[in-house]
Amino acid sequence: MSRSDLIRLVAGREIGERIRSKAFRISAGVSLAFILAVAILPGVIGDGGPTTYDVGVFGAGSDALAERLPQVAAFDDDVAVDVRRVASEEEGRRLVASGDLDAAVGDGGVVVERELSDRLGFIVREANRQVAGEAALAGAGVRGDAAARILAPEPLAVRPLDPESEEETTKEGLVFFGTLLLYGQLLGFGYWVASGVVEEKASRVVEVLLAKAPPNQLLAGKVIGIGAVGLAQLVGLVVIGLLAAAATGSVDLPAETVPVAAQVVAWFVLGFAFYSCLFAVAGAIASRAEELQSTTTPLTFLTVGSFFAAITTGGDPGGPVGQVATFVPFSAPMVLPIRVAAGEIEPWEVVVSVAIVVLSIVAAMRLAGRVYAGGAMHLRGQMKVRQALRAEETSQARA
Amino acid sequence: MLELVTLSKRYGDVVALDGLSMTVGAGRIHGFVGRNGAGKTTAMRVTLGLARADAGEVRWKGRPVMAADRRRFGYMPEERGLYPRMTALHQIVYFARLSGMGAGEARSAAMAVLESMGIAERSGEPVERLSLGNQQRCQLAAALVTSPELLVLDEPFSGLDPVGVDNLAGVLQAQVDGGTAVVFSSHQLELVERLSDEVTIIDQGRVVASGPVGEVRRSRGADQLKVALEDGGTAWADELPDATVVARFGDEVVLELSPGGDDQAVLDAARRAGRVRSFRREAPSLTELFREVVAS
Repeated sequence: MSRSDLIRLVAGREIGERIRSKAFRISAGVSLAFILAVAILPGVIGDGGPTTYDVGVFGAGSDALAERLPQVAAFDDDVAVDVRRVASEEEGRRLVASGDLDAAVGDGGVVVERELSDRLGFIVREANRQVAGEAALAGAGVRGDAAARILAPEPLAVRPLDPESEEETTKEGLVFFGTLLLYGQLLGFGYWVASGVVEEKASRVVEVLLAKAPPNQLLAGKVIGIGAVGLAQLVGLVVIGLLAAAATGSVDLPAETVPVAAQVVAWFVLGFAFYSCLFAVAGAIASRAEELQSTTTPLTFLTVGSFFAAITTGGDPGGPVGQVATFVPFSAPMVLPIRVAAGEIEPWEVVVSVAIVVLSIVAAMRLAGRVYAGGAMHLRGQMKVRQALRAEETSQARA
Repeated sequence: MLELVTLSKRYGDVVALDGLSMTVGAGRIHGFVGRNGAGKTTAMRVTLGLARADAGEVRWKGRPVMAADRRRFGYMPEERGLYPRMTALHQIVYFARLSGMGAGEARSAAMAVLESMGIAERSGEPVERLSLGNQQRCQLAAALVTSPELLVLDEPFSGLDPVGVDNLAGVLQAQVDGGTAVVFSSHQLELVERLSDEVTIIDQGRVVASGPVGEVRRSRGADQLKVALEDGGTAWADELPDATVVARFGDEVVLELSPGGDDQAVLDAARRAGRVRSFRREAPSLTELFREVVAS
C-alpha cells in the first residue's frame, strides 16, 4: 500500500468520524445559526428608519415654527419631526400627558412629560432660534436674503484626511467576522487534533495502528482529515453567510468581498497547517484526555493572544501591534486579512509573512512527527516534549 | 517461523530484554510466561515493530521481518485497542484495509470474521456500548480479519470467565489447526499448561526455561507422587526409604522419588497405612516450576 493511499485511508476515517460526531454537528449548527443571525438580522430589524417625534405648536409664531421644525430636522437622516397645530397650551399639556405628543412648543416654552431629550431639544431650540431671530431682524428692518445671510452663514466645508466610505465600514465588518470565524476554526479544529491523538493513546488503538503504519503517515492522515472538515465547514459558513446577506439585502456587499473571503480561507489553510502540528504535540505528550487541559494550555494561550492582537490591529491596521503580529506565525493568519483589507500593508510584508509561516509549518511538522513517534507508545502518564524526542530515537523499528 | 534472536533492549536504566531468544513454529501454540515487568510485553512490541531493539533481530520465515509482514500479523494488545465510538464493522474494515487489503476484500473478510465471533448482529453499534465480552470478541476479530499467519496476544485471557476462556481457547485451537503460529502471554499457568504446545518462561528480560510443555515441566525435578488416603492420614509418608515429602495439601501428600526409587513401593506403603483414595504420578506443574525458577 503506497504512502499516499495510506494517508488517504487514515484521513478518510478521520473525516467520517468527525462528521458523524455529535460534537461536530452541534458546533456546526451553532456556528451556522450565528452567521445567519449576523447576516440577516440587520436587514430584518433594520434601524427601523428614522426616529419620529410628534411635536405640537401653539400660540403666536406657531405657523413659523410649524414650518421651520421639519426643515431643521431634515439635516439629520436619523430624525424626523411630525408637526401639528394645537389650540392652546392646555390642549398641548393634555396631549403630552396622554402620550400623543412628545412635546408641545409655544409662548416661549416647551411642554414635555419628563424632560426634553437632547436630540429633540436641539431641533426645537434651533427652530425657535431661527424663527425668533428672523422676527427680531424683521423688526430691525432686515428681511429676506439679508436676514437669511445673517442667520445662516456658509456652512463649514468638511475636509476629511482619510474619507471613510460606507463601503469601507462594511468591508471592515466583514473582515472582523472573517477573523472571528478563522480564530474559532483554528482553535476548535486544532483542539480536535490533540484530542484525536490522545484518544488513540488512551484506548490503545495506537498500538494496533503503529503495527501497521509508520507514525508520520498516521499523523499526516489525521491532520489532513480534520483539516479537510475544518476547511469545508469554514467555506460553507462563509458562502452561506455571504449568500444570506446578499439575498436579504441587509448588508451591501462591497466589491472586495470575494477576495477578502478567499484570503480568510487561504489563511485558514496555512494557519491550520501550523497550529495542527503543535496541537498534535500537545496530544502526543498526554496519555489521557484529562491531561490535555494542561498540555494544551500554552498553545491555547498563544491562540487567544493572537486573536487579541488581531482585534487590536483591526482598530489600527497600520499600527505597531499589527506590524509585529504580521511576522509572528501564530498571529499572522488572523492579522494579515485585516491589514490587507484595510490597505495598510506593503507587498513585501505579505511576502515575508507568508515565508515565515511556511518555514514555521515545516519546522512544526518535523517536530510533531518526532514527538508523535516518541510519545505514541508512552501510554502511562504525561511526558515532557524533550522526553518524547529522546524516546523517538528508540521507538519505531525502521523495517 | 517466528524467531526472536538475542533481543536486547533498555529503557534508560531499566533492562527490558537481555539477550532473549525464542521460536514460535507454524501450527503451534506458544505460551509466554513471566512476572509483571519481566519483558513479555516488550518482546511482543519488538516483534510487531512498536519498539526497536537495541540488539538482536526478529526473523520471519527465515529472513528478517519486514513491515509488509508485520501489517498482516494479528495483534491483540493488553488493553482494548479499539476506537470507542466507531462501530465494530467499520473499524475492523479499517484495520483490514490498513493491513493492505482492498476495500471489497476487507469488507467481506470483516463480515465473515464478525459472524464467526458471533457478534455480527451487534456490529453496527459503537464498540463502547458493547459488553466487555463482546468488546474482547471484537478485538479478536480485528486480529483475525487478515487471516494472519502469526497471532500475538498479550494477556488475552485476563478478565474472562471460564466460558469465555473456553471459547477463546477454541478459537486459538482452530487457528492453530489451520497452520497459524500463536504466541500468547498469561499469568494463569494452569491455562498455559493446558493449551500450549510450547512454553517460554522469562524473568528480567532473559529466558529461564523454554520448550515443549512436558519437557519443561520435567526439566527441573523428578516426577512427583501425589497420594491421599481415605482417612486423611499422612504420617505413613514420613519414614519412607526412597521418597521424601515435599508438600502437604490437606489430606494429600506430595512426595519426590529418590533416583532409582520405585513408585509401586510407595503405593504399597500407602495401602499398608489405609485405603488409598487417590494416587497420581505427575511431572511438577508449571506453577510450581515457575515459582521455583523465578525465585532462584
